[in-house]
Amino acid sequence: MQNPYIPYPVIVDKIITEVDTKDIKTFRFKFVNPEDEQKYAYIPGQFGELSIYGKGESPIGIASSPTQKGYVEFTVQKAGVVTSALHEMEEGMMMGIRGPLGNSWPLEFLEGKNIVIVGGGFAFTTLRSLINYMIYGDNRKRFGNITVIYGARNPGLLLYKDELIEWQKRDDLNINVTVDKGDATWKGREGFVPAVCKEVAPSKENAVAVICGPPVMIRFTLPVFFELGFSKENIITSLEMRMKCGIGKCGRCNVGSKYVCKDGPVFTLAELDKLTPEY
Amino acid sequence: MEKRLIKKDALAGIAKKMAGDLLVWAPVKKEDNVLFAPLGSGDEPFFAYLNSKNAPKNVFFPHTETLMKFTRTPKGMVFSSETNQAAQSVLFGVRPCDAHSFVLLDKLFDQEKYKDGYYIEKRKSTTVISLACVKPPYATCFCTSVDGEPVSAEGADILLTDIGGDYLAEFITEKGEKLAKYFGETKADAAADTKKSEIATKAKESIASKIPAHEIKPILDVNFDNPFWNTIHGKCLACGTCTYMCPTCHCFDISDEVKGSDGVRIRSWDSCMFPLFTKETSGHNPRSSQKERWRQRAMHKFKYYVDMFNAIACVGCGRCVMSCPVNIDIRKVVEDISKL
Repeated sequence: MQNPYIPYPVIVDKIITEVDTKDIKTFRFKFVNPEDEQKYAYIPGQFGELSIYGKGESPIGIASSPTQKGYVEFTVQKAGVVTSALHEMEEGMMMGIRGPLGNSWPLEFLEGKNIVIVGGGFAFTTLRSLINYMIYGDNRKRFGNITVIYGARNPGLLLYKDELIEWQKRDDLNINVTVDKGDATWKGREGFVPAVCKEVAPSKENAVAVICGPPVMIRFTLPVFFELGFSKENIITSLEMRMKCGIGKCGRCNVGSKYVCKDGPVFTLAELDKLTPEY
Repeated sequence: MEKRLIKKDALAGIAKKMAGDLLVWAPVKKEDNVLFAPLGSGDEPFFAYLNSKNAPKNVFFPHTETLMKFTRTPKGMVFSSETNQAAQSVLFGVRPCDAHSFVLLDKLFDQEKYKDGYYIEKRKSTTVISLACVKPPYATCFCTSVDGEPVSAEGADILLTDIGGDYLAEFITEKGEKLAKYFGETKADAAADTKKSEIATKAKESIASKIPAHEIKPILDVNFDNPFWNTIHGKCLACGTCTYMCPTCHCFDISDEVKGSDGVRIRSWDSCMFPLFTKETSGHNPRSSQKERWRQRAMHKFKYYVDMFNAIACVGCGRCVMSCPVNIDIRKVVEDISKL
């Protein structure tokens, strides 16, 4: 039996500084023991505990897609003790990852439907995993129209800039990238995410909205989707809470009777309505 | 079921003999308290106790426990070893309420999907010997309100009941039977059984403190926002004593400690009563005041645990009632909730 508290050993294979402020980086990890990659089989929307011995662990959503073989990626903002230590890491160094943890984006439920993805700021990471999963090879046929609305405060804070350009070239993806305020070189859209959602006005027909972002974005985006006629069963989001064990035992991430770490982090709005508003 | 009689004054000798072969946790007097501790040579077990100051859950779930070790290399700190050791042990003479708590903790630590090997290994390698409460020890005991009884074999491998001059020893499980050799050869007769049932009934009836623990679940289901929650926490000091004393509280923290080139990852008891427990790096705290924390504690015991495992996470030992420095009484909280 695998001890769920023991991390898989990994090597920091690549570090990509994502934003101008340099406080958000993507870390690509390779498994020290190749057989661990299979044990770490994950689904978009799941998370892992990044484990730096001597510092501790931090629960972070998985940013790569399971279709990307040979490695696993996490995009991390420098914030507390563990993430600060992580940002000091260099390529070639060793650490650990636990997981995959939590439920995931409900892929079976999403199949055959039109998918609207709305992301704001740094919360785009597991949505990126989902997008890369859905557009990979034959996977694309299993989903209807895919509309992406992604916003950041300014162009320098957009994550995955190269991928955004590649995605925009595809004719089977409707990509809408927006910034709150552009700069001299920005030629794209300007405006807040809720306003862009209103403008793009995705149809509710056979559609599911997957929304992740800062609370203020969520607060103003949800009414737009309600107005468009999306039901609460068809709006999906992901929660964050302080966590330690990640397996429903240490007792801090529960929202009512549900543990965000093991029963979440993904919930539909209809499910969230049944939970106590304590997150 | 194997049943034997042992002379009352022989019990301490049995525990001491066992301690020669196995790791025996028994109640011992330490200053003004009675605590469960590993019985060393020369230690005298104290079975005439009321209940131990602390719940004996630390036998399976220690205050601090090393989960793994790691060591420094040129490429960073790396994992060096797993540290899950469990010696063959006996928990000798626990009260039935505390034995009941192990059954409740099993539900959490021994789930189908995520098994907590550290807890499970200790649990598996420990034989639990319960010592029935023929007289309820405290006025604050309320086990009968939360699915317990003062004379109960729940959670026990062996149950000892004082039936006058003798203890009736009942070997409940196979694990318990393996220790039968320590308990002499005197078989118990039907008269001992009758006596035990009489004592059990009497003991149960003498638990005077009763709370409507089962009635409040449907009330809690619909009263998350009730202003009542403003009324409990006012005097709470957030000291966490209630959760440390509680036999069923199981929340923990995981942290790393480094000394030189080596380090350990440990888990330690934590408490939902502490502000930092849920505080996130961003500063956001989903349970932002003691009101939310108290609601969490009450809800977790009488609603969330019932939702998750169909069991109330309280065994009625009364330790939180006796230990709270500002006299917050869970019995009154439950009583008040039942009137909402």
